[in-house]
Amino acid sequence: MNSLSTYLILAAMLFCLGLLGVLQRRNLIGMLIAIELMLGGASINFMAFNRFLAPEPAVGQIITLFVMGIAAAEAAIGLSIILALFRQMRSINVERAQRLSG
Amino acid sequence: MMWLFKDPVLAAACTGTWLPFLAMLVILIFTRRNQRLSAGISIASIVTSLICAIYLFTKLFHAGVPVQYEVAWAMTPDLYVPFGYLLDPHSLLMLLIVATIACLVQIYSVGYMAGDPGFSRYYAFQSLFAWAMLTMVIAPGMLQLYIFWELVGLASYLLIGYYYEKYSASQAGKKAFVVTRLGDIGFFLGLIFLMLGYGDLGILNINQAAAGHQIPGPLVTISALLIFCGVIGKSAQFPLLTWLPDAMEGPTPVSALLHSATMVAAGVYMMSRIFPFFAASPDAMAVALAIGTVTMLLASTMAMATYDLKQVWAYSTVSQLGFMVMGLGAGGYFAGVFHLTTHAGFKALLFLCSGMFIHEFHTNDMRVIGQSGGRNLKVPMISMTIGALALSGLFPFSGFFSKEAIMGVLAQHTNKVWLFAGLLGALMTAYYSFRLIFFVALPRKLATVPAEDHGHGHGADHGDEHHGNAYWAMAWPVMFLASVTCVLGFFQAPLEQFLTGGHAAAAAHGAGQEGAGHGMGHYVLLAGAIGCALAGLAWAWVEFGRKRAPQEGFLKKFPLAEILFARRWYLDDFYRKALDTLVYGGLTSLFTRNDRRVIDGAIDGICKLTVGTGRMTSFMQSGMLQYNLLVMVAGIGLVLLFFFI
Repeated sequence: MNSLSTYLILAAMLFCLGLLGVLQRRNLIGMLIAIELMLGGASINFMAFNRFLAPEPAVGQIITLFVMGIAAAEAAIGLSIILALFRQMRSINVERAQRLSG
Repeated sequence: MMWLFKDPVLAAACTGTWLPFLAMLVILIFTRRNQRLSAGISIASIVTSLICAIYLFTKLFHAGVPVQYEVAWAMTPDLYVPFGYLLDPHSLLMLLIVATIACLVQIYSVGYMAGDPGFSRYYAFQSLFAWAMLTMVIAPGMLQLYIFWELVGLASYLLIGYYYEKYSASQAGKKAFVVTRLGDIGFFLGLIFLMLGYGDLGILNINQAAAGHQIPGPLVTISALLIFCGVIGKSAQFPLLTWLPDAMEGPTPVSALLHSATMVAAGVYMMSRIFPFFAASPDAMAVALAIGTVTMLLASTMAMATYDLKQVWAYSTVSQLGFMVMGLGAGGYFAGVFHLTTHAGFKALLFLCSGMFIHEFHTNDMRVIGQSGGRNLKVPMISMTIGALALSGLFPFSGFFSKEAIMGVLAQHTNKVWLFAGLLGALMTAYYSFRLIFFVALPRKLATVPAEDHGHGHGADHGDEHHGNAYWAMAWPVMFLASVTCVLGFFQAPLEQFLTGGHAAAAAHGAGQEGAGHGMGHYVLLAGAIGCALAGLAWAWVEFGRKRAPQEGFLKKFPLAEILFARRWYLDDFYRKALDTLVYGGLTSLFTRNDRRVIDGAIDGICKLTVGTGRMTSFMQSGMLQYNLLVMVAGIGLVLLFFFI
């Protein structure tokens, strides 16, 4: 039970759920949350490899910390974009954002 | 430019040929609005050309050797294409003829074309015509000859279609151009053959080489036959003779120019120009002889059935050209050229006279002209009679001598059929010429003609006395040509010596001895030819001239033949039919279908393809974020599949 493949399967499931969410949800905030899920999946991958395979245990954790930092920054930028979009269009539906295609 | 004037001969040749071209440019660009000035420029330039031609002729009369100025336009070891000037007796004579006739016609046109709105344009085209013909005449190489030959065709197209607002005139111009082009294709192919096979287009060179049997026989025959196609087109020989009668749609002075010295003469001139080349191929000569004969007889029959003044002379031109080709084809170089010379004189005369009648009575119908008092116009009436006598070949007019020369050549031919054809032609020529003369001069007053008194009074009013400058501008050239026609024949001997040159004098001497041997035969021939002409005249007199003559040709008794002759042996209908079925029905419809289906279809297809793919790919650019992402993920998935499985 406590083996590498368990964690990898979990990470893959999380990543796929996140991908599904990004592709399928029309709500921009939902998409942002789904991206967080994908990042979480990736982070679990790093941690699992770090725990079972790496000779130097700190590397995976550092990368995960970076991922979390980037996720925070991304959430801040993404939310502000969504806010700006909402002000413009009174909606956060991604289909409305098609108008941006010009 | 000083080098040009160091040599007066070269300077004269350059000025004589290029001045009309300059005149055309000046008229077209600067002086179109001023009609008098335009005519003045054009006439001044052609008079200068005439002076240059006379100067060259007198200066080089005794030169003996041809003077040649040439620049090699294309020269490789296998190819020699000269451009420049070749002044030998033949070209000098022709230069003189062309310049004289063109000059007279232009002076005449001042009267004939007076008041025409396109007066300046007319003179510009006349100058173009003169330039093209003069430069063609003194071409040293076949390519230059060909280029100016086409320019002559262009100029005649412009002049025949001069009254372009008239449908038949523009059609006639087009017909002349297209039909002669048909022959020119053959001409050009012949030149290409010659260029590929022999590689030299200098006229003197190919003449010498062919005479010396340096060119292989089959090559000579093929290229001579192909080049003869050009003669057929240009000189209106059978089967391409129908354009010439239609060319009467142009103004009459144009017909005079076209029929005597320029357009149609170009064909015969070209043939005599490379006569030794033709003579090297007996087959080509035989074809030329046969085609000339057929043309002469056909055209004579056509001339017997028409009532149009100009048409008669047009058919007679065709027939006389056929006669020249016969003379050349039978090996009579001098005879052909001499007839070309005399014919230029008297045919220009006949047309200019007809022009005066037409200008006066505004009709082409010889019966109407006769009944309106055509004979009261003394100058053209007498001159036209002189011209008709010359055309029939009666002593002492110029036509007599040249026709006699051709008959002599034909008599030496082993096959006597040609001689009898020639005599028959002479008979018919005299008949139709005097049919016309009697119609005009001795009219039968018919009640069917309306306003006869008026017409008569009109003619009398405009008798010789009460004419202005316009009349005399027309009368002087006519009188000049008439006097030339009277005396030109007596210059046969010097011209012959001039043309055939010093070395041929010995040959002429030999021929003279031979002639002495056949002296009896010669007189029989002379009597036969004159007899035929007189018989034709008498025949016309019986039917049209004498009092209480029926004024109906014998053709009225053979309606079928008359219809056949009047419809030009159905040649036009044949061409129409051939054109409709072959070209319009066959080729053109195929081309149209090709154009519509294949070319248009292909282009439309390409357009539709572009639009369709654009429409399809525009789905991808929906701006829908998640589709893009989906495609990206699918792409990455496929790449992964490719690499890991």
